Amino acid sequence: MFSVRGCGRWAAASLAKQHLRVARFCGDSAAPGTPHFDVVVIGGGHAGTEAAAAAARCGSRTLLLTHRVDTIGQMSCNPSFGGIGKGHLMREVDALDGLCSRICDQSGIHYKVLNRRKGPAVWGLRAQIDRKLYKQNMQKEILNTPLLTVQEGAVEDLILTEPEPEHPGKCRVSGVVLADGSTVNAESVILTTGTFLRGMIVIGLERHPAGRLGDQPSIGLAQTLEKLGFVVGRLKTGTPPRIAKESINFSILDKHTPDNPSLPFSFVNETVWIKPEDQLPCYLTHTNPRVDEIVLENLHLNSHVKETTRGPRYCPSIESKVLRFPNRLHQVWLEPEGMDSDLIYPQGLSMTLPAELQEKMITCIRGLEKAKMIHPGYGVQYDYLDPRQISPSLETHLVQRLFFAGQINGTTGYEEAAAQGVIAGINASLRVSRKPPFVVSRTEGYIGVLIDDLTTLGTSEPYRMFTSRVEFRLSLRPDNADSRLTFRGYKEAGCVSQQRYERASWMKSSLEEGISVLKSIEFSSSKWKSLIPEASISITRSLPVSALDVLKYEEVDMELLAKAVPDPLKKYTKCRELAARLRIEATYESAFFQQLQEIKEVQRDEALQLPRDLDYLSIKDVSLSQEVREKLHFSRPQTIGAASRIPGVTPAAIVNLLRFVKTTQQRQAAMNQLPKTDQYLYDTDKLQEREL
Amino acid sequence: SATRPRPRRVLVPFPHLYNRDSGGAVGNVSRALCLRRGSGAPAPSPGATVFALSSGQGRCGVAVIRASGPASGDALRILTAPRALPAARTASLRLLSDPRSGEPLDRALVLWFPGPRSFTGEDCVEFHVHGGPAVVSGVLQALGSVPGLRPAEAGEFTRRAFAHGKLNLTEVEGLADLIHAETEAQRRQALRQLDGELGQLCRSWAGTLTKALAHVEAYIDFGEDDNLEEGVLEQADVEVRELEVALGAHLRDARRGQRLRSGAHVVVTGPPNAGKSSLVNLLSRKPVSIVSPEPGTTRDVLETAVDLAGFPVLLSDTAGLREGAGPVEQEGVRRPGRGGLEQADIIVAMLDASDLASPSSRDFLDTVVATVGARSPREGGQRLVLVLNKSDLLPAEGPRPGPGLPPSLLLSCLTGDGLHGLLEALRKELAAVCGDPSTGSPLLTRERHRHHLKACLDALGHYKQSKDLALAAEALRVARGHLTCLTGGGGTEEVLDIIFRDFCVGK
Repeated sequence: MFSVRGCGRWAAASLAKQHLRVARFCGDSAAPGTPHFDVVVIGGGHAGTEAAAAAARCGSRTLLLTHRVDTIGQMSCNPSFGGIGKGHLMREVDALDGLCSRICDQSGIHYKVLNRRKGPAVWGLRAQIDRKLYKQNMQKEILNTPLLTVQEGAVEDLILTEPEPEHPGKCRVSGVVLADGSTVNAESVILTTGTFLRGMIVIGLERHPAGRLGDQPSIGLAQTLEKLGFVVGRLKTGTPPRIAKESINFSILDKHTPDNPSLPFSFVNETVWIKPEDQLPCYLTHTNPRVDEIVLENLHLNSHVKETTRGPRYCPSIESKVLRFPNRLHQVWLEPEGMDSDLIYPQGLSMTLPAELQEKMITCIRGLEKAKMIHPGYGVQYDYLDPRQISPSLETHLVQRLFFAGQINGTTGYEEAAAQGVIAGINASLRVSRKPPFVVSRTEGYIGVLIDDLTTLGTSEPYRMFTSRVEFRLSLRPDNADSRLTFRGYKEAGCVSQQRYERASWMKSSLEEGISVLKSIEFSSSKWKSLIPEASISITRSLPVSALDVLKYEEVDMELLAKAVPDPLKKYTKCRELAARLRIEATYESAFFQQLQEIKEVQRDEALQLPRDLDYLSIKDVSLSQEVREKLHFSRPQTIGAASRIPGVTPAAIVNLLRFVKTTQQRQAAMNQLPKTDQYLYDTDKLQEREL
Repeated sequence: SATRPRPRRVLVPFPHLYNRDSGGAVGNVSRALCLRRGSGAPAPSPGATVFALSSGQGRCGVAVIRASGPASGDALRILTAPRALPAARTASLRLLSDPRSGEPLDRALVLWFPGPRSFTGEDCVEFHVHGGPAVVSGVLQALGSVPGLRPAEAGEFTRRAFAHGKLNLTEVEGLADLIHAETEAQRRQALRQLDGELGQLCRSWAGTLTKALAHVEAYIDFGEDDNLEEGVLEQADVEVRELEVALGAHLRDARRGQRLRSGAHVVVTGPPNAGKSSLVNLLSRKPVSIVSPEPGTTRDVLETAVDLAGFPVLLSDTAGLREGAGPVEQEGVRRPGRGGLEQADIIVAMLDASDLASPSSRDFLDTVVATVGARSPREGGQRLVLVLNKSDLLPAEGPRPGPGLPPSLLLSCLTGDGLHGLLEALRKELAAVCGDPSTGSPLLTRERHRHHLKACLDALGHYKQSKDLALAAEALRVARGHLTCLTGGGGTEEVLDIIFRDFCVGK
């Protein structure tokens, strides 16, 4: 059958199991011999693995197609996960039972929370990750996920059929064609091809086609997408050289040690796999004027820097740092690549100079005087698809049941890719079972901000998550991602395990109970002052002060509070996570109520849905300028809220749009005599209040 | 690049307008409210409460002020304290007082419409007050001080009514046009306010605040993985402190506040020595301009708020437009010159009836009168009243001067002849300008301005108090939101642009 026809190498680890599974599906499918899956995911990177696992968790028979099984879960660039904003994304991926947080808890070698002193809303969970361990653990996870099959193969083309009439889109994807001509049928297809679409690697003046160093790019697929009419853009990124560990003089450099204790990424883990004392340190060094000279003297040899392809406004490469901020010393972090790896990753030294110049530059940096470069840094230029061509479920407007996730949508970073992967996987699966899409609102998560920004505004530089992009940063915190997303994931998508759901439920009810208990304990401020002399409690207030208010003081935590009022607070200190979360809730309690108004207004506009099949270019009964029509046509906003965020769409246009939608519905309702006139215009009363 | 606005309500780009528990009198009211609701945190309200003057402008017998939203019942109770809410949908007479000072404002007819049986479908309140500007202004300010209330935005009542299914489709059709018109009128009003000292101030404050915010955001998003310069936060603190002082001083300075009192703008213009200043003095009944027979006595725009035929008017007198003046005078003329005219709703073009053939008169007719007269008010042009002054210098029985001129009025500022006719003409024009629903209420505009500046100041106070940097940054975001409500802009991209311009950050 499949393997007999030789259409690709099967993943060896679960060969027998996979065979069984495919055999069964072949029996189901219409064309004998052609395997058939609910969801086919193309690409085994951070978006692809999350997408495939999420679709399988939702109950879809899923196939992950990748060039090479042994590169599944490969960290192509930095040996770290998380950070500020990115850590938030990981917590949200985890809240939906995604993989990367759990895998990082098993593969990290240096866990450190950034922004510790800046407030828990902006803590950045981060860890240096052992590349090899991560890949191993990820492959183990993927190859042992029920309903998920893995196959090697390069996808060259998509199989397209007639569109479903009840959905917009000019055609429907029904399968993929592999490089050897064989086909796989699919109900939904997710493309997570990263930088592989017409990927081009650049070092100095040399350039060769590759998705990643040593891997073939996808050219056929890029052509297919272009032929279908997708608007394609080009972006560039880069990675630093790797240095031999034993050639570095660490003794003269700043040593940075990990946190003790380590804070795990996943809600289901209490600890990480490795003790703090067994973790590896990082080292810090700096560039110097000689580095600037080498960059500036050799610009003519550096085609990646000179080219006009849009790079980001921030500075990922040492060249752009030197060009934009001359005469400054820039940080270079020397990060371990793994427990037993001989390589060091010099974060901050991403560059595309010719290899010999890279080595020359490295050796003029303090501590790296005798450093040996194992392989050079390089730039990658690749196609991305304008993300305004996809809906918030990540399905494309043009082709039904085709989903895009990850770097293909113009983002950068493992975490951004993973976040899109989970959402695409869930939605590809929901689409097959004809359930409504799972969309995270801007008011619910960083994932919502990421996808809303991409789909309504597009991007012209690699999009990276920052906390400053998030309006409701005080509510969308790393600590409460479970209460924001786990319940929805469980009920609406079915992507969350029973165990995780129960844990989140317990935490939610404990928090609610804890907060109401804390509110109910009220004393005069002077009594509090005598109970907790450590805290600088102001005694000017004449009203009684609740324990929750006292918990807002910097010096007070649950331990201290429980010492002052053991009954009934003692029991809330038993679970460390609960005690910490109660304190965070207290810190942001009043700010949350102040933002609630704004949150509700955004939610109200997001509840006003626009028909997905509206032809903005031709509708006559509505007064919209040509410019507005074109913008709406391209982005296809799904709600009034999204439409109003598109630059150039005026308030008057929004009102006209609302009116048109309402008229049309009434007319249709009158014709069909359907009682449901409010299919698209939900009442604001339906908005649910979030408890915490 | 695309601006990246914060999510906003559909019609109104005004993001952060929530009640802040500020110190002082407003804070007391807020606490009083909490107590009334019982212990614990105040119940979150499902929508902001907005208020506006709903009747027309100008002096009138009765003015109607409406509030809509969940806190409108509270607002009614607070303004009519100690009385309880009146029976629903029944007119009741109540004494309104300012909740901050307890000072009585007016004896008014009040109506309480609990939702959903109301104009917007929400809880609504109507205050029918005596129509003087002082009373209306007082009640609006009192409402503005009630926690949870803010001035309504263009078309907001209608939009709320629409959202609650209270409008039929024909009514909604008018809404988009109305919003379009209001946006235009607001743009013009914003131009007026922002042209000049206050505008420059607001813009420079917003600039300072955006930069401070960008630096705090950079410190949050990049403070640890990149080498930000030392003292980024300290610098932001210093800037915020300076801004606080400046805003506080501005809010206390009533003189500057008066500049905001923008009624209909009437600008008197004409060649030197046509008698513009005399007319202004006549209309305002107090000497605003120094009057002398010397041409070029007025070198600057002098503005005065006057009540013309019941309409609030900001009357200004431009320096004469004259060729060959001395350098000092030219400067005085140039600065306000056309700028003053562009902001005018009504232009009173004034010529010396006895001197129509002079080069300066002819030049004025060719340039200003011809240009302004070329566009009708329906096309968005300004209204023009042509006045020929110094009729006392004309021969008593002679022919009417200037046969080729557009329709004009004869006047003598010296004797007062023709003043009645001029006032009548102005009244007609003012009625057209002020009766136009697209012109925002000057009282509301002023109230809005004050509201945002005060809210900005409150937020800056929160910034200083917050030890948690995320909370501090949020306070700056709120403060900036209030300032950018007055100056425009305010997207996240603007902040990111500053971050990437000022700091070398990236992975």
